[in-house]
Amino acid sequence: MPNIDRRDFLKLVGAGGVSVGAGFMLREANKDATEYLIPHVVAPEDFSSGLATWYNSVCSMCPAGCGISVRTREGLAKKIEGNPAHPVNQGGLCSLGQAGLQVLYNPDRLTGPLKQTSARGSGSFEQITWDEGLDQLGSRLDLLRAARRGNRVAMLTQGVRGHLAQLFDNFMRQLGSQRLLHYDFNHPHTLYAANQRFFGQDRLPYYDLHNTRMLLSFGADYLTNWISPVHHSLGFGESRQGSSNERGRFIQIEPRMSASGAAADEWLAARPGTEGILALALANHIVSEGNYAGADRADWAVALTDYTPAKAAEQTGIPQSTITRLADSFIDIQPSLAIGGGAAANHSNGVDTLIAVNVLNYLAGNIGQEGGLLLNPEPTSVVSQQQQASYSTLLEFAEAARQGEIEVLILNGSNPVFTLPQASEFREALASIPLVVSLSSFLDETTAMADLILPSHTYLESWGDDFPEPGMGFPVGAVSQPVVSPLYNTRATGDIILALARQMNVGTALPWENMEECIKDGWRQIYERGDAQTLAQGFDSFWTSVLKAGVWGETAAGDSEFTLDRSVISNLGVQAPEFSGSEEDFPFILHPYLSPNFYDGRGANLPWMQERPDPMTSVVYGSWVEMNPSTAKELDLIEGDLVDIQSLHGTVRAPVYLYPAIMPNVIAMPIGQGHQEFGRYAKDRGVNPIEILSPEIEPITGQLASSATRVNIVPTGRRSKLVKTSGTSRDLGREIVQFADVNGVELSSAGSNSIPITEVTA
Amino acid sequence: MSLFSRFMDGWRKYRKPGYYDEFDYHWTMAIDLDKCTGCQACMTACQAENNIPIVGEEELARGREIQWIRVERYWEGEYPNAKLSFIPIMCQHCDSAPCETVCPVSATYHNQDGLNTQIYNRCIGTRSCAVYCPYEVRYFNYYDHHWDSPLEQQLNPDVTVRGKGVMEKCTFCIQRIREAKDHAKDDGRRRVQDGEVQPACVQTCPSKALVFGDRKDSESEVSVAINDPRKYRVLDELNTDSSVFYLKKVDA
Repeated sequence: MPNIDRRDFLKLVGAGGVSVGAGFMLREANKDATEYLIPHVVAPEDFSSGLATWYNSVCSMCPAGCGISVRTREGLAKKIEGNPAHPVNQGGLCSLGQAGLQVLYNPDRLTGPLKQTSARGSGSFEQITWDEGLDQLGSRLDLLRAARRGNRVAMLTQGVRGHLAQLFDNFMRQLGSQRLLHYDFNHPHTLYAANQRFFGQDRLPYYDLHNTRMLLSFGADYLTNWISPVHHSLGFGESRQGSSNERGRFIQIEPRMSASGAAADEWLAARPGTEGILALALANHIVSEGNYAGADRADWAVALTDYTPAKAAEQTGIPQSTITRLADSFIDIQPSLAIGGGAAANHSNGVDTLIAVNVLNYLAGNIGQEGGLLLNPEPTSVVSQQQQASYSTLLEFAEAARQGEIEVLILNGSNPVFTLPQASEFREALASIPLVVSLSSFLDETTAMADLILPSHTYLESWGDDFPEPGMGFPVGAVSQPVVSPLYNTRATGDIILALARQMNVGTALPWENMEECIKDGWRQIYERGDAQTLAQGFDSFWTSVLKAGVWGETAAGDSEFTLDRSVISNLGVQAPEFSGSEEDFPFILHPYLSPNFYDGRGANLPWMQERPDPMTSVVYGSWVEMNPSTAKELDLIEGDLVDIQSLHGTVRAPVYLYPAIMPNVIAMPIGQGHQEFGRYAKDRGVNPIEILSPEIEPITGQLASSATRVNIVPTGRRSKLVKTSGTSRDLGREIVQFADVNGVELSSAGSNSIPITEVTA
Repeated sequence: MSLFSRFMDGWRKYRKPGYYDEFDYHWTMAIDLDKCTGCQACMTACQAENNIPIVGEEELARGREIQWIRVERYWEGEYPNAKLSFIPIMCQHCDSAPCETVCPVSATYHNQDGLNTQIYNRCIGTRSCAVYCPYEVRYFNYYDHHWDSPLEQQLNPDVTVRGKGVMEKCTFCIQRIREAKDHAKDDGRRRVQDGEVQPACVQTCPSKALVFGDRKDSESEVSVAINDPRKYRVLDELNTDSSVFYLKKVDA
């Protein structure tokens, strides 16, 4: 269980209201700010000069769903902090979450509705009014609906949860369209599929890092971008030096050291895509050593016969002795937990790999155990997980567009032109759609291709709600409330949808005046399903306390059980991964990873994130390609040499960075830079490695196998200066970071005084 | 007072400018390197709280970045045994601060709370302090920095925006300390309680690696932390008597 159990959580929620502004006052302060040139004579109640007012809301910078408290002064947002009462992040917040302020106050925001006046992508827009914009779109939609051709309307949105997702669903149903696509580049399709097969549940379990004493991570960069990084960081800290006397042990298996790899006690590089084989070899050793006593022991032994440690050592490149040692300690050190994700899950065998990881948890008895993996109960009253569209689904959509089956595309926050490989030909497919409308707040690559832009408020200006997935062992929800008055002539996404619904005369099915009412109505239903104690307080008081606390937990939820489907055992197996391109022509495997600064590219327009050194390399403002120093030596390359990275599907050019912890036949590139649009801070900076990815897919889920591209490196003979904040990357005997053993006894510094190979520059 | 003790007193005052017989508070930070994940959330929190400007790529390439707190990274060993360690470094608020003795105009001094503080409008920009600081945590404003409108609306009204020619550095979020003291006074309390004040970096740390508090309160979380056998101070051999304690990374 997380640090906060259900009882503590209720206490926190009760106490959370102290000195926190309640949203219902906000409407007063929310009137058009431009009306007040001079300070208020009679100010709204939550608005006093010199005093800060805090509003609790929800972070929307990534899908983790952390709770935030926003400090406002004189009606302006000043700082975002984590909401201490929210069980996901408990007060902590990552860089990207804090940089949400620069989304709100970004100089490149779209300030009002626009209409493309010449060819798409030419960038010539003219300002129009909301009535014109809504009319143009609404009348088109109404015609299509009346002609029963609503399915020719598609909506492509970034992953949205809560009542906004429900509103989208409802709207598209009224329109008669099945084409509502939620798309996030980083959505873990393979993880959902593997857990569905193993546990028979469509939701993710809770991974209890807080209490685990042994974590085996197969590629999951849980501290940076895997599911809920702030929550995992909290668990990591607690497991390392928390209340328990035994320090948690962390082992990371991945071809290129991530932040989680750096934090681990042991970092191991298995050949890319063989992580699942490694997991099964561990399982084989556990069963063959008699460390699993379940009734189905014999079945497992049969299913695992082919995965002996000796054989796996050959396939994965990890020594047999290491495999058996890991397997033994996974049983000996309890509670233990195995997780999988990142590159390991993005191969052609992704689902099987993650099933193999679950097998380890099953055999070690970690399922349902504190410090292991806790199954989340079925939420009884929250609207939670939306269906995400996979890469294959988007390809089908693009094909439909090319066939002329799509007449209107509504985009909401999703930027597929940037986050899909060029091989998908998505940009070209857009050309076949007669009307493309974007609700984005920024002119991103896809929005630049739109005919009509109806810009949304940012999340700090709108009403919304979120139900984090996975739950915390119990379902959690939070209302997102506006913390400042809207800066520009923009509208909340929900309000735009509701206005369109009215335009189409389907207002009876979507009866709300605005998003605030819709959210409030949704929460009234949650309230009505509450227990007697909840009902006794009345809805208004319930609503106020949810807003004040910034979080609400469904504490009455039941427990969840599972029985293993026997077919998991009989179907067990991990195939060798498939790569695109031959090893002779393309000797390197490209390992693209989400930049810790920009997530999937959405943070690249934030100056704080641009100037924040990359945690591992300290590079700022650019792209780079990481390679092992020995590889660089072979190719006669040094830091800053520009190289072409060529795949079967394209070429990008980036300077070399010598990365000490990457396999010699793997090269890594961060995702996030390389925008052609998206404002002054992002535009024309670095390159986007997604462009050259091969369109390999994981066959079960249709997810893009983004780690399955082989590339060649071609030196260009040119150089570029890598801008970074670090000087030497070594300690050089200064003993700045010091080490101790578990008892706190000082260890002599292993730091070398000589300048290593990575430091040799021109 | 004997001649000797007068001499010693004078020596102590020379060694510790603004020497106090006793601090009111003794603000101290402890950073557990075994918990630090190098995520740099602390850096962004600091940037937001303290109106730290963006200098741009060109200035950064010339080493003119401003980062009151930064995370340093040190590699050890070569593949496949390469290891990476992170350490957040900010002003160490030394009680024998080398920067304080060299300022020709006493723009940097030690205050009543054991903080090394910088008086911006006294600073004449000689940059001597930055030269003397062994931790390299003082940052100079080579220009008047600019916020592309409307980014300036985010600026914290409780913190000065520093102009050209002025040195700046971590203050342990002195504006938050002041606010906490004011609250304590308004409540009729004499002292700020443990946990009542947290600098922005400590508040946001996802893994709770940073702890802040008053070392004079022996019960405080930070006092407990700095009694850990793993405690050490960076470049302690320089006798700077710094107020930032690190807990060694465990190598198991």
